[in-house]
Amino acid sequence: MDALIDASLKALHLLFSGDMALWEIVGISFRVSLLALLIATPPAVLLAFVLAYGNFPGRRLIIALFSTLLSVPTVVIGLTLYLILSRQGPLGEWHLLFTQNAMIIGQIALAFPMLVSIGHSALQAADRRAWETARTLGASHLRALLTIIYEVRFGLLAAVLASFGRIISEVGASMMLGGNILHHTRNIPTAIALETSKGEFAQGIALGMVLLVMAATLNVLLHHFQGKGFVGS
Amino acid sequence: MSTLHFRDIHKHYARRTILAGLELCLRTGSCTLLTGENGTGKTTLLRILGGFEKPEQFAADTGHAQLNWRHYRKLLQSSVLYLHQQPYMFEGSVRDNLSFALDRSLPKAEREQRIHTALQWAGLEKIADTRAKTLSGGEYQRVALARAWLRQPRILLLDEPTANMDREARNRTISLLRQLRDDGMALLVASHDPECFSSLVNEHLNLSAGRLQTVTPASRFVNMTLLQQAS
Repeated sequence: MDALIDASLKALHLLFSGDMALWEIVGISFRVSLLALLIATPPAVLLAFVLAYGNFPGRRLIIALFSTLLSVPTVVIGLTLYLILSRQGPLGEWHLLFTQNAMIIGQIALAFPMLVSIGHSALQAADRRAWETARTLGASHLRALLTIIYEVRFGLLAAVLASFGRIISEVGASMMLGGNILHHTRNIPTAIALETSKGEFAQGIALGMVLLVMAATLNVLLHHFQGKGFVGS
Repeated sequence: MSTLHFRDIHKHYARRTILAGLELCLRTGSCTLLTGENGTGKTTLLRILGGFEKPEQFAADTGHAQLNWRHYRKLLQSSVLYLHQQPYMFEGSVRDNLSFALDRSLPKAEREQRIHTALQWAGLEKIADTRAKTLSGGEYQRVALARAWLRQPRILLLDEPTANMDREARNRTISLLRQLRDDGMALLVASHDPECFSSLVNEHLNLSAGRLQTVTPASRFVNMTLLQQAS
């Protein structure tokens, strides 16, 4: 118990003393995950919309495929992309392996199915009259789409936050594609895994605290924007 | 008075025939009442004319051109406005909802002026800044009609516009519909309550077995109106 308290106190000291090594890791984590989310969200929402509003053969199969991808372990995604990006792989000449760009690709692959699945549920729950009313009032397809996105914004925001939570805390893909290189590709989860294996718990606990504070802040913000958050008048 | 003549409208759901070669003529400045039992296809017909359901067969004659379904949707969707039984209100105030019906390229001052006039037209001034989703059924319908008034379509399709309304709300709705008709719109109203629209309609059609039957022809309504004016 003393060891845990001692490590936690050291962790707090690291956080509040502005330890450069620690905050650099935090910066890499946020940069990679936010960029991945920024790239993945627009096409994922568009695909979710097509799946919710379109009626074409294979639609249900695609929905089932994305639901299945939700439960694929991150190391499997990491392994697949590792094989594609490694020197012998089809994209080996791009020299992306062990770079932040490779980590971004890995996190896009992880976030995309979650954004599509949760986004599809949110858009499917939207009232169909919203689309029809927008169109009958003369809105273009794009304006009607943006209107529907605004109508279900809280559901889509939840999809974005859930996806962000998944990618910023995953170890498997980041470790395999980034290589956990200090100052370059070491992010919060790979650093926690490394420091714990070395028996250095303070930095791991400090980084864990950053993740917890981030998760709490995002959820408080979501509930704030959602308003009352209960079913009632 | 210009007319739009729909011909040969066929619609099936699975093996069930809903519309079997239906013919319908809509005239500007005229109100057509559509009655029929539940499930006879009144809403389906309105949704086809509104561009939201694809029929198996369809032809429209504008007087200048013959249109198939694809061309009809392309050319006339901007001139046809379909109002659901319970109109949908977007997130935002009544004013925001009216703004949606206006062309976005209009200057801000003109937009505000038109919205102000529409609020007055539909008697919505007092609730202009109220969140639209919290309105009553009658107010929903008035906002929807004010959007139609701003949009000025050639054809207005209404599905049970006075359902579940009290007498006062019903009368206000009928009064607004009369103004839209007199402004030159062609109204097609599906309803179970012909009495309610007796002072408004120019023609009464009944939908049965996939076809329309004339209950009261337009000519009879014209004669009745002339008699009323003479007396």
